Amino acid sequence: MIFVPLVQGARSQPDPTHPAIIAIAAFYFVAVAAIAVWAARRTHNARDFFVAGQGIGIVALAIAAMAATLSGFAFIGGPGLVYQSGTGAVFLVLSASITSTMGAWVLAKRMRLLGEARALITVPDAIGARYRSPAAQGLAAVAILVAVVGYMATNFLALGLLLNAMFHTGLAMGIWLAMLVTLSYTVTGGILAGIYTDLFEGLVKTTASVTVFFFVLKAGGGMEGISRAIMAVDETFLGPWGKMGPMAALSLFFVFGLGSLGQPHIAHKFYMLKDPRRLKWYPLLMSVAMTLTLLLFVGVGLAMRAFVSSGRIPPLGRADDATPAFVLGFTPSVVAGVVFAGVIAAGMSTVNSFMNIGAAAITHDLPRAFGRRVRNELRWGRIWTLVLSVSAVIVAQLSGTLVAFLGIFGYGLFASTLVPALAIGLNWRGATRQGAVASIATGLGLTLALESLSFFKAFALPSGVTTSGLALLLSLVVFFVVSWLTRAAAAAQLDPDIRAVMDS
Amino acid sequence: MWLSCLVIGAAYASVIFASELNRLAPWGVAMGSAGALCAMMALGASRRGRLHPLAAAAILATFIIVAGGFAFALARPAEEGAGGPLWLGLPVRTAVIVYGVGLLPLLVLPLTYALTFDEQILSDDDIERVRQAARAHAASQ
Repeated sequence: MIFVPLVQGARSQPDPTHPAIIAIAAFYFVAVAAIAVWAARRTHNARDFFVAGQGIGIVALAIAAMAATLSGFAFIGGPGLVYQSGTGAVFLVLSASITSTMGAWVLAKRMRLLGEARALITVPDAIGARYRSPAAQGLAAVAILVAVVGYMATNFLALGLLLNAMFHTGLAMGIWLAMLVTLSYTVTGGILAGIYTDLFEGLVKTTASVTVFFFVLKAGGGMEGISRAIMAVDETFLGPWGKMGPMAALSLFFVFGLGSLGQPHIAHKFYMLKDPRRLKWYPLLMSVAMTLTLLLFVGVGLAMRAFVSSGRIPPLGRADDATPAFVLGFTPSVVAGVVFAGVIAAGMSTVNSFMNIGAAAITHDLPRAFGRRVRNELRWGRIWTLVLSVSAVIVAQLSGTLVAFLGIFGYGLFASTLVPALAIGLNWRGATRQGAVASIATGLGLTLALESLSFFKAFALPSGVTTSGLALLLSLVVFFVVSWLTRAAAAAQLDPDIRAVMDS
Repeated sequence: MWLSCLVIGAAYASVIFASELNRLAPWGVAMGSAGALCAMMALGASRRGRLHPLAAAAILATFIIVAGGFAFALARPAEEGAGGPLWLGLPVRTAVIVYGVGLLPLLVLPLTYALTFDEQILSDDDIERVRQAARAHAASQ
């Protein structure tokens, strides 16, 4: 069981196997299955499978992007980190007020137009087209592949733990069940099923977050009651940097702010929008959805720390128990059911996106990097989705520390390999193929080397300097320097239609 | 963007090499991060090197809010102990970060994007121009 029962202060809490909780979770699985069947009937070719036939509306796009952005970490790991590290952990999501609009200005329009102009279906496709470079496309695909297996394994493990707690499946069976459910709708309905389950899951997550935040304020006596309880016993927990210190907190802001432009599962979704003129409302929809869904992230961790500080409950056995313990102890069973469904939703929506882009990297991008094309991309996309999923499940079952290791660097790897070449490259004519290849290689090599050295305790950066921050910074510097050194080639590497996209 | 990278790089270097300047490192990451995000927005919002005045004002306002919020939290002495002052339920420095940096740009940026969309970001003519260029490229292959 991942949930440590609470004893003092909280009212008698329902078990996670309470009928209401099970019923809501079961309803959630039925809804996902129905969406999968509907989407499977509309998936006829690789364009349908990978970019939903470019027929998605703006509300579905914005909510699905939010759902894919906020994985299970936003509901479990994030509140746990707030409970453990205080307000410093909020810096992980602090830039959410900026990143949606920044993403729209920098990526949304250009990705959408590029997708249409060249019939592109993957993020490495965009890099390949921008620089007329199969090598850059291939390297980007390798970086994506390395990161997605770790991300998928982490999410499968979290989902397995949750299913085991709710249905007593056993951890191994829970992991396999989570994979099979996600795989079934991804492999049949492709990204179309993914988008509409993301839309459904996003609405579940937002509802759960707002509802739980209401109970946080109610149980804690408002924000003032929560703050007073914590400040009475701890002078730093509610300081602006929490227990992290300013360097570490501000580094998180840098990596998660700028790094948001390098997340392929979000950038990829811009291809799918039916009418590019509807992008007008994307930042507003996405920002509001993100902010509402992050209320739980911030509120639960602070409330649980306040309850511990005031002696209402004993300290949690594990920080990650913060959300399960709060919803089981301080909300009605129905709300707990919606939250657990929200956590399952969060994990599945993220895994689904990674299954899709991982399969596309193998089926589409890597063959093109070697000048080859796969004949039946739809069939091979489905096969590789299955292979990747099974691989991730095996990794998830091999070793807990290995999974944690793989899960940690995914975000940073995406940021350091894709932000310069993709986000800056689509907006700056001075970027060159050589700069893109060098920056992707720098981000990939540096992230893998530093994370591995740190994992094996051979080397550690000083407190406050993160591998992801350093790798992002150095890949940016390499990108600018190499592009400047090879600037004579920049204009010749741009096709007229790509220039038209960049000028639009 | 270059300047922001240099400032953050200098901050990281001062910590990694344990320089005496490392007490200034948080200031470097704070200003550099705010600058990097705003420079990136300006790059994306520009068309042929020109930035719409409303977008420029919104991005500048965001820089002032973010850099100013971080500077306020770094410069002001800590008062988060028992009985310390609260603002909207949080200690003052934390409230400036959470409500200022975390929420204020939300009121400014998405609306600026929507208000400048038709004129500056994407018109029907822009889409047609791209489609013509794409057709010409396809024909040349």
